[in-house]
Amino acid sequence: MKEYKVIGQSVRRLDAVEKATGTAGFTSDMKLPGMLYGKVLRSPHPHARIVGIDTSEAEKLPGVKAVATYKNTPRELFNTSATMTFTVPPMLPVLDQYIFDNVVRYVGDEVAAVAATSEKIAEAALGLIKVEYELLPAVYDPKEALTPGAPVIHESEKKNIPGEIIQIPYGDVDKGFTESDIIIEKEFKLPVQKQAQMETQAAVAQVGLDGKITVWSTTQTPHPTKMILSKVFSIPESKIRVLNPPYIGGGFGVRIGCSAKAEPIAVALSMLAKKPVKVVYSRKEDFIASDTRHGGYVSVKLGAKKDGAFHAMYLKATLNGGAYCSFSVETPGVLGCMGLAVYRVPNQLYYGHSVYTNTTPAGAMRGFGNPQAMYAIESVVDMMAEKLGMDPLKLRLKNIMQVGDPWVLPYRCGSTGLAECIEKGAKSIGWENRGKLNKPGARKLRGIGMGVGTHVSNAWPFCGDYDNAYITVQQDGSVHLASGVPDMGTGTSTSLPQLVAEVVGVGLDQVSMTFADTASTPFDIGSHASRTLYAAGTAVVEAARDVRKQVLEYAADLFKVAPERLVLQDGVISAASQDAGAVGDNCSGAPVCKIGGVEKKSITLKELAYDAHLRNKQFIGVGRIVPDNAPPWHAHFAEVEVDTELCQVRVLKVAAVHDVGKAIHPVICEGQIEGGVLQGIGYALSEEIKYDEKGRQLENSFHKYMLLTADDVPEIEAMLVESNDPTGPFGAKGVGECGLVPTAPAIVNAIYDATGIRFYEIPVTEEKIFKALKEHVK
Amino acid sequence: MLQDYLFPETISEAVSFLQNNEGQARIIAGGTDLLLDIPEGKVKTNCLVDINRISELKKITMEDGVIYIGAAVTHNQVAGSELIQEKAAALACAASCVGSHQVRNSATVAGNVCNAQPAADTAVALVALGATVEIATPDGTQYALVEKTYAGVGKSTIDSTCQLVTRVSFPAARKNQGTAFVRLHQRNALALPMLNVAVMVELAGGRFKWARICMAPVGPGPMRALSAEQALKDAEITPEVIEKASRAVLEHANPRNSALRGSKEYRTSVLPVLVRRALEQAVANAGGTCN
Repeated sequence: MKEYKVIGQSVRRLDAVEKATGTAGFTSDMKLPGMLYGKVLRSPHPHARIVGIDTSEAEKLPGVKAVATYKNTPRELFNTSATMTFTVPPMLPVLDQYIFDNVVRYVGDEVAAVAATSEKIAEAALGLIKVEYELLPAVYDPKEALTPGAPVIHESEKKNIPGEIIQIPYGDVDKGFTESDIIIEKEFKLPVQKQAQMETQAAVAQVGLDGKITVWSTTQTPHPTKMILSKVFSIPESKIRVLNPPYIGGGFGVRIGCSAKAEPIAVALSMLAKKPVKVVYSRKEDFIASDTRHGGYVSVKLGAKKDGAFHAMYLKATLNGGAYCSFSVETPGVLGCMGLAVYRVPNQLYYGHSVYTNTTPAGAMRGFGNPQAMYAIESVVDMMAEKLGMDPLKLRLKNIMQVGDPWVLPYRCGSTGLAECIEKGAKSIGWENRGKLNKPGARKLRGIGMGVGTHVSNAWPFCGDYDNAYITVQQDGSVHLASGVPDMGTGTSTSLPQLVAEVVGVGLDQVSMTFADTASTPFDIGSHASRTLYAAGTAVVEAARDVRKQVLEYAADLFKVAPERLVLQDGVISAASQDAGAVGDNCSGAPVCKIGGVEKKSITLKELAYDAHLRNKQFIGVGRIVPDNAPPWHAHFAEVEVDTELCQVRVLKVAAVHDVGKAIHPVICEGQIEGGVLQGIGYALSEEIKYDEKGRQLENSFHKYMLLTADDVPEIEAMLVESNDPTGPFGAKGVGECGLVPTAPAIVNAIYDATGIRFYEIPVTEEKIFKALKEHVK
Repeated sequence: MLQDYLFPETISEAVSFLQNNEGQARIIAGGTDLLLDIPEGKVKTNCLVDINRISELKKITMEDGVIYIGAAVTHNQVAGSELIQEKAAALACAASCVGSHQVRNSATVAGNVCNAQPAADTAVALVALGATVEIATPDGTQYALVEKTYAGVGKSTIDSTCQLVTRVSFPAARKNQGTAFVRLHQRNALALPMLNVAVMVELAGGRFKWARICMAPVGPGPMRALSAEQALKDAEITPEVIEKASRAVLEHANPRNSALRGSKEYRTSVLPVLVRRALEQAVANAGGTCN
């Protein structure tokens, strides 16, 4: 195995000191001279037409500099998510939002906004805006919204289905079920989960007198966000600069594109007030008025032969898209693709779509449809194992996808370490103890369960997806990388420089990175789809190879040898020994290079770069790539204890084993996995936004929304498997979203193992266990 | 609108500051509730009187078998006090369950009582311990059982615009006495209790001499389970007796339906389980066994 100098090492993160000392820059910290504060008036109704809006009193309040409504802001339809910037024909992006409209479609929908000299004044001004609403009928459940006579939420989509219905046929599913010996069919109900990232949606906009606009924001995708703003405000993209300052307090998918509407509202207010305007969502606004995970229904029909070979699967999803489309076309697409890609099933069909309802829009959240799919599929696989009388672990090993297997995806299954993941996880959890953990009559029952899955390493072919990067060698030989991706906490500002240091052959301390700024980096689609290290990393590696090649070619001239004979390591260039047998070299000893009149057997990159500088040259490497795609794989095992008297589940341990291809920074990988596991536990047991009969979100704060706390973390054993994917940088694949995917099914399967009760709806709260136990006893 | 923030150094100074402001000032100790309520307009005041510099309010002491907790003593101080852990285990446990570490570093036990929330953890424990509050008023010192300071949900009989709780006191658990606190919550920090129960028992020769059982949120304030207490009086310590008494608590419990923290039906069903577990723990704490 090749030895690496920088990658594969858990080096200290380059942002560690800044973040540990609280000096790292975030949008919510921004302050500009003359800056105003923007506040948003939100709808108290789930569905209503605005028949009158009077802002005159608000405008009179001293300190108020602008009031924006649908009357004085652009009437340009858009989509807050990046879908409108990379949907590839024949698919068309769904554009169904204005900055402000005269119809409100969920509790929290934007009605108006105020810019004032202080937050207090802006808040007070909101109270002075008089709005007259004509209430319209509302619907909250996606199945109800599909029934004839249900309220129509967007006139353009009479059936309440945003965009395309996704259908993925493979083989002959009807024939497949006819040929199956055992068929299990079940429907599962899924909750609305919230990203609950640390920093709320935020943007600061500055509109210059020269027509240029600068927007500092929390977006995960500065370049696509620039494109959205250009469209909404009809301003050339070259005149808009979008950047992170430079960090983001988490994302988890909630701001792929705009940060809810923080950017367009800040720009609109800044245009009206002619001053910089800062808009920071309160936590409540973030909860009720920025994208959530899709809730809804997923059903699985699985057919198998007597020997356990899966033969047919029909997967169906009806997701709750909420009031606006966001990623409601892509999410059911990924749900279907991932759901069909885990097992070798010769006959498959997927049918899925989202449905408009009068709830908070659903969009991207870590896993992007995949956790929804795998909770359902992995539950049914366990049920199938029981019916077949097989160990569910062995049933999975028998059916999982292998390298080169045909599958529904338009790229190759080029690597899988899933079998190894399953073996390692089983050992860690003590799978052999399954079913032997409880004494008769015990009131606290223990159980073990598992779940597996795959994911993507970028968004192609679900949408456009490409990356650019450039690397410059500075005049002192240090190396600068420019990449358009952000670092939303996932460590890209460390792992991408690691790639540069490894490829170029310099120490990590010589590498610096500019990121997340449309003015100083080339286009990159951004951070989502577990893609940053894999896809942007591929561009970075290409740029690094390019710059290294230029350096060595330049050095070859000085050494008078072929560039192939030269080695650049630890920032020093020297020629390989004679037996390397390079062409065009007739010297007997090691070649020497003459620099500044002195002969040397090696020179530093520092010396070389300055020599080049004096001869009017800089080394500039460029990487322009369209990434391939690669499947990461994962197996999670959970041990739980169910208190049957109090109806509570406690997770005792999760063993999470991930095939990451190659871990560029193992500790960052493990951190990603642990964080995903915790969000997965929340998804399984406690996290949910419910609605009351007036369409109001019941859980609208950290106080009410049962996100796990540091005190709730069980033992997590995160383990890495390296299958070395042929397409990724140094063999790496995506990891960011994966920890969430198989966690909920592992827990729900463990609860079944403990109690004999299967839950077809998550989160498995006290209330649900209480009702199920009552039924069970009957 | 808040205009003044005062630091009295004695109890009488604090009371006179309140008097001088004629009902417009109020006491602040930890401030973990008040500083949320003021911006939301739930509490209106123009002057806060901070009692954290009154040294005698910052102590936990024991005199003649009675434990005194000063009004400026925080939850974490109570939870970490060896004296409280040994002589009032229920209170130490209750104090360790409130909010988060940061909240417990600031929030006071006396404030938890004065805020009068129906399920305030330390108040539930204090009622089981038979605790009394000492109140400094312009007319002199007054005393009230913690249990009697509830005037409705979130309403205390103690008026923080003219009165100051100076300390909370209760008899230290003696030999043959035991206490326990159990709590049902959706996560281990920053969660209000779905239910909480505190009990104190005295045992004598394999029997309960008496028991005090307090539970919440099943009424406007911490509620005593009087019939269950009656059933335990002089009863033999057996699983059957405990089970029966645990079910009897429902006579004094009226939990609400909560979309966030459990239905009435669920809470009614699990309350006796919590009471049973609390009684078993308290018996063990008193040195007894349940068999």
